[in-house]
Amino acid sequence: MQLNFAAREVAIKLVYYGPALSGKTTNLKALHEMVREKSRGRLMTLETKDDRTLFFDMLPLVFKAESETGSMSLRVKVFTVPGQVVHASTRRLVLQGADGIAFIADSQTSETENNAASFLDLRANLKELGRSLSQTPMVIQFNKRDLANVRTDAEIDDLARRGKEPVYKACAMNGQGVLESFFGLLDRSWKKLEAEHDLTQKLGLGPAAFLEMAAASLGHPGRAQALSGACVGGSHAGARAAGVR
Amino acid sequence: MSAVNSTAPVSASDVVGDVAVRIEDVVDRDALAEMCRSIQELFGIGVRVYSSEGALLTNIASEVEVCGLVNESSQGRAACGSTVSAAKSVDPGQDGDIVHQCFTGLAYRIVSLDYENRRVGRIVLGPFAPAGLREPPPLLATSVPKLDVIQATQKLANVPRVKAEALGRIAHHLKTTLELIIFSSHKAFVTSKLHLYSVRESYRALEEKTARLEQALSRLKELDRLKTNFLGTVSHELRTPLTSIIGYSEMLSEGMAGALTEEQSEFVKTIHGKGEQLLALIMGLLDLSKLDSGTMSLRQAPLQIGKTLDEAVSTVAPAAIKKGVELVVEKDETPCEVAGDGERLRQVFVNLTDNAVKFTPKGGKVTLRSQITREDGDDDDDDGAVLLAPLRRVVQVTVSDTGIGIPASERPRVFDAFYQVDSGSTREYGGTGLGLSIVKRIVEAHGGTVTVTANEPAGTTFVVTLPSAQARRTLPSRVPPADRP
Repeated sequence: MQLNFAAREVAIKLVYYGPALSGKTTNLKALHEMVREKSRGRLMTLETKDDRTLFFDMLPLVFKAESETGSMSLRVKVFTVPGQVVHASTRRLVLQGADGIAFIADSQTSETENNAASFLDLRANLKELGRSLSQTPMVIQFNKRDLANVRTDAEIDDLARRGKEPVYKACAMNGQGVLESFFGLLDRSWKKLEAEHDLTQKLGLGPAAFLEMAAASLGHPGRAQALSGACVGGSHAGARAAGVR
Repeated sequence: MSAVNSTAPVSASDVVGDVAVRIEDVVDRDALAEMCRSIQELFGIGVRVYSSEGALLTNIASEVEVCGLVNESSQGRAACGSTVSAAKSVDPGQDGDIVHQCFTGLAYRIVSLDYENRRVGRIVLGPFAPAGLREPPPLLATSVPKLDVIQATQKLANVPRVKAEALGRIAHHLKTTLELIIFSSHKAFVTSKLHLYSVRESYRALEEKTARLEQALSRLKELDRLKTNFLGTVSHELRTPLTSIIGYSEMLSEGMAGALTEEQSEFVKTIHGKGEQLLALIMGLLDLSKLDSGTMSLRQAPLQIGKTLDEAVSTVAPAAIKKGVELVVEKDETPCEVAGDGERLRQVFVNLTDNAVKFTPKGGKVTLRSQITREDGDDDDDDGAVLLAPLRRVVQVTVSDTGIGIPASERPRVFDAFYQVDSGSTREYGGTGLGLSIVKRIVEAHGGTVTVTANEPAGTTFVVTLPSAQARRTLPSRVPPADRP
């Protein structure tokens, strides 16, 4: 996070991580489509001609917040990492300074190993950067729910309840679960920053108010808590599953 | 194991963080000027582009006569200067689009340039005459008292009128185009920077890995050295008491401590024989440890290979006779001098011959053949062959047997220390698996080679090639240590 009191500006960095072809870029493109034009910048994609992410994708979201202490500018930059194994060093670079991580897993049972390998890669890269998974806000998204041969809802729910991270189910191709995962991550990331930097006091803006304001600015007024809560496991254990499928 | 000094990952915060983009960094000034000039030519309106810090990046001004008139007086110049400086700093408001009035009645349209919702600069269009302008405002006369107002009014009338709407469209088009250029340029900037950082980061990761491997390697080398030292010490310590065992058993069998019964004599001879066998084994280990540590010395002296072969054969002959194996030496009549250590070369051929006898059944034949030849692969029409040929002369010694042979797949490994073609052969034929590895090292220290091939129809042939004395003037003083971790 970059906090610039003089300019009344807060910048948050969120990173979408996951194995190759799990749909990180698709998530970002869908998110770009689903937020208000006024609050979003151009989606920057650095990809090869076969549409594989070479360095990263980046979507800047900027909105104004009115709080007790005045108006301020909130900047959220959402990055994706290149999933292909060879881009290890680039993943490490993009991961630098991430305030929260959305792990985009592929729901297909055949991808189980790739999901796990990518997760271990994430853990190793965080360690290399002097950070740990336990200190980094994270959500997990099971993408491609519309495909055949995927892990069943019941199986995911069961695993999610035992795990630490909230799990969202998605089909990023048609936008399902994309906002849920994003707001879930934004919510957790802000709460972590709030606890570390006492943001309520400094900015005059509590976590719930922040999330609601973000949702409104991005064109989804009044839906913040419902979107963020549409997961299984995590701190929202027992919350209703996302209405996908 | 001590930790490797790790370096921090390369920082890429200027591209993966939230750093404000500077228009100066991402837009080419000449290209910008060219684009603004085309706008100016198309619409006749001057274009200036400023960075967010107020630096003038491009200035494509239109020639407006009334401005020239105003600038003739010092007061006019001062007033004009303050208008221009206000235009580059005035807040363009929430919408980023305002009209800034000049005291002459002309105006400037100021449009902000935004990137990622940050103001990165501004476009100043003008001066232009607003559509409704008929005469100069009273401010003109007060700002520049000495001005010829009538002339100014005439000149002002010549300035083309521009509708606010049309100008708005021009401004919007220019803003959109420039913002796109900033985006594309920033994307290219990020790509190239990140490419550079990725390469650096990969390099750093590799360096770290290399450092870890180097540490492991030096640790292994140290362990290897300790092993060699241990082998040397143990061999030496074993030899001392063994010498006594051999010496005393020899004295006993010679009857120096009184006559022995036939059975006693046989037992003592067995003790003596086994003692000698053990000594040979220990000597082999000692040689190997010397070879490993690079302390096996070589004493160079010119020697005739034929003599060395005779000596080797006479050493092995008793064993061959006992086993019923025929032992033959076939020598080339051309005398050939080899620069080498006679004792070590004798050891080589004793070893090879002894091996051949050991693996050849009764009634078989072991043949040693020496001949002078040339190094393989040299053509007669080689450049300077007449000069180089003498140096390429080599002595080739083959040791062939009619024994059990070595399967082709096993041949490359027979020179590895401790290697035996099959572990059963150790029990059947004896030996430590050290001999051939020692042979190879000694031959190579002489600048030679040793290879193994099949001997048709049965058996094995070892081929030792040694350079002639002319080819190899000097021998290293020691057998160099093995080139391994």
